[in-house]
Amino acid sequence: MAACIQRLDRAMFSIRLLRNVQLHNERSLSTSLHRLALDTEQPSKFTPPVKPVIIDKTQSVASLRKFLSPEFVPPRQRTKPIKFTIERKDMIRRRKVLNIPEFYVGSILAVTMTDPHATGKNNRFVGICIQRGGRGLGATLVLRNIIDNQGVEICYEMYSPRVQQIEVLKLEKRLDDNLMYLRDALPEFCTVDTDMKPQPSSPTGEVPVNKTRVRMLPKPWSKRWERPKYDVKGIRFDLCLSPEQLEHAQKWAQPWVEYDMLKEYDTSKLEEDIYTELQQEAAAAK
Amino acid sequence: MRLTLQLLISHGRVARRIGLGPESRINILRNILTGLVRHERIETTTGRADEVRFYAEKLIDYAKKGDTDEKAMKMASFWLTEKDLVPKLFKVLAPRFETQSKDYTRMARLPARMNLDRAKMAVLEYKGNPYPPLSPIRKENELTLINQLLKAYREERSQLFAAKT
Repeated sequence: MAACIQRLDRAMFSIRLLRNVQLHNERSLSTSLHRLALDTEQPSKFTPPVKPVIIDKTQSVASLRKFLSPEFVPPRQRTKPIKFTIERKDMIRRRKVLNIPEFYVGSILAVTMTDPHATGKNNRFVGICIQRGGRGLGATLVLRNIIDNQGVEICYEMYSPRVQQIEVLKLEKRLDDNLMYLRDALPEFCTVDTDMKPQPSSPTGEVPVNKTRVRMLPKPWSKRWERPKYDVKGIRFDLCLSPEQLEHAQKWAQPWVEYDMLKEYDTSKLEEDIYTELQQEAAAAK
Repeated sequence: MRLTLQLLISHGRVARRIGLGPESRINILRNILTGLVRHERIETTTGRADEVRFYAEKLIDYAKKGDTDEKAMKMASFWLTEKDLVPKLFKVLAPRFETQSKDYTRMARLPARMNLDRAKMAVLEYKGNPYPPLSPIRKENELTLINQLLKAYREERSQLFAAKT
């Protein structure tokens, strides 16, 4: 950097020489004087200027939380485990090429996908994640946004080769695992600014839980969200339904289901094994 | 395009259809399980015994966690309708099966009920119960030829081994 400046100075000096002969004499005199003056002093050591430290806030640091993506955990099935091990290998291979960050239902994401018919061949969509479905390589992610007063939901397959980039603009959790009720909520709860800048989040510590309870449009809804089988905690039922209606909805409650041991599927051990396997793969890759 | 209703296909369904519906099924199984914990050996139909077997073993797994565990206590108080059996579960049955990790119950078939329905009957019991065994213990007859020859072979072997050392 300093060398460039020195060269530039010399170039400027030579240009001025060519332009003005008078100046040249003066200059040479002045520079020679300057040089003479410099020689009498102690030769100062050349100190290069301080390099500016660039903090790249746009690039997100890999999270240090213990997080296992839900698509790695196989469901309760009769298939042989070798199918899941082979699938996991393919998923890891894809993740080495495309970084799928940690995110939850309720976070705001931006996904760029190849589109042969779009200008610039890529298509970027920003939205709030309302559902994470599928297991294995077919894992999907539904993003919802409202564009020009029209609600738009796009379901992306995370491991598809068409997906170029998945960016988390805002990392947060919500009160539910499935935000399909946003379809029947007021539009203000689903609109996400398309030019939103990624908000930095700390890689350690708890993920912030957004406890907003959503206000709904008048009934009829796409699903009867007040019924206990959906177990929705993020809707302000007191504003849209009367106590009699809520009581009527409780008729469909099945209180024995939580005690039914046949329906229990304990994935803790499986999750731990898969997590250690992924850590080993990541360490081996490095 | 789906050509048959999901209700008519039962692929992968593990719960048998008992009684009038899911709530009725759980209530019936609860009553049978309470009876099993009280008497430790009961007779029911084959299907119900097979269903209760799973729940009986899971209940023992929960009981092994101890009565201080909140979830275990909730489960026990739900499944045992007679509340005097809850201490029996935690203090008698759980310590009995401490060394085992599975197979706490035994099921055997019985002759069919003599009623009009002629239902297939089975007897279900917790292992280690105080009653005489369901199937008599078969004692090997020592006086058969093969057993006598084997006995002599074993004695010879032990004599040779004693002579060597």
